[in-house]
Amino acid sequence: MPAITLYNYDLDENSFRVRLMLAMLKLEHATIAIDMFPGQEQTRPAMLAINSQGTLPVLVDGDLTLAGTEAILSYLAKAYDPARTWLPEDAAGFGRVQGWLHFSATMLENAKQARLQALFDTPGDETALRAAARKAFRIMDDHMTARHFDGADWFVGDKPSLADLTLFPSFALSRDFGIDHDEFPALRLWIRKFRALPGFFTMPGIPDYH
Amino acid sequence: MIEHKSWIPVALSTALEPGTSAGTLVGGGELVVWRDTRGAAHVWEDRCPHRGMRMSFGFVRGDHIACLYHGWQYDTAGQCQYIPAHPTLDVPKTIKVPTYTAAEKGGIIWAAPSSEAAEAAIPVEDGEVVPVRSIYIDRPFAAVLAALTNANIPAFTGDTAPRFETIADGIVIVSTGADRLLIACQPFNPTRTALHLVIQGSAETYGGAGQKHFARWAETFRLLLETASTPVAEVA
Ligand code: FES
Repeated sequence: MPAITLYNYDLDENSFRVRLMLAMLKLEHATIAIDMFPGQEQTRPAMLAINSQGTLPVLVDGDLTLAGTEAILSYLAKAYDPARTWLPEDAAGFGRVQGWLHFSATMLENAKQARLQALFDTPGDETALRAAARKAFRIMDDHMTARHFDGADWFVGDKPSLADLTLFPSFALSRDFGIDHDEFPALRLWIRKFRALPGFFTMPGIPDYH
Repeated sequence: MIEHKSWIPVALSTALEPGTSAGTLVGGGELVVWRDTRGAAHVWEDRCPHRGMRMSFGFVRGDHIACLYHGWQYDTAGQCQYIPAHPTLDVPKTIKVPTYTAAEKGGIIWAAPSSEAAEAAIPVEDGEVVPVRSIYIDRPFAAVLAALTNANIPAFTGDTAPRFETIADGIVIVSTGADRLLIACQPFNPTRTALHLVIQGSAETYGGAGQKHFARWAETFRLLLETASTPVAEVA
């Protein structure tokens, strides 16, 4: 069995973030399916013994057990990307990528919640969640509009980074909760570039143009 | 479907790469704007004749666009040419997506909502342009236009106050300082309006900093309009 194990739910976009990272870094790993919906298996005793926070995804690598999507992504980049592309070494690049990881965990959380509500009827104010998700996408679109003026294709620096990886799924899945891509031209150009990266694959809700 | 008598701007030319598609709305009606791999732009109703799914979710292959759902493929005239579930079928001519006349001019993709509109010339000049951005504002077309023609648009070069010339319904040329902007407004739906901004000038002068300057103005304009509690024309 490979050293890395991912506790995963296929329809969970945070699990997808980690699956994408593992694929893009070409890391062999085992996957254990957790019944998040409807089972909420991640909050049951067997899973709490592994991750007391009761969240998915969870990554185990040898002696290390990690929860928290951004932490897992950062760890994988630090441990397995010797080129330092995904998590830049230089202080400004590192800070900028952390900034977008934070954005993904905070402002984009509205998009994640809006999607779960649409698919699984989880609680929350539907109108408020969608409005907040749209606001987050506007911030991203304004950013990429400005980046394109500088001839840049990615959120930070001149290569794809964890910023792009963590932002991609919520926008790509936005039709699941009724937000179309019509109003975000700069993000449309960007996701097309992201989809062309080696190792990219889709999850249910993100079209696969065979 | 669309009540509009002249050409309607639907996207910046640079926002649509060859072999891609995007959805948009005109007067609340769904359109797909797509570019074939040879570079020609097309604007159609965004409905697949099969089950009515949005064509803009689909994908472009050469000079065909395929529906995401069951893979029906349509040629540039909107005619269905191939149905994967019946690969040998000679597809009936009646399976056709309604199309609009599309054209590109001045850095913008335009759609003609009627044959009457298609006969008229697109009211913008040819010449070198630098694209800025499309911006979507949660305010009705009339309110956005009223605010726009009173807006304070700081110049990138020079410093004279802006002058506005409306050359067609929703199509405005702004002269500010030494700069000339084309702002083309798209009636998106009853509560939302899209603005397509293009600098009429050279990339040498406006590339990068000039584009950012006017993009930032557009974002500020959107914020002012959307947060205004007083009539928009007074604040913008
Ligand atoms: S709905 Fe388009 S092919 Fe079936």
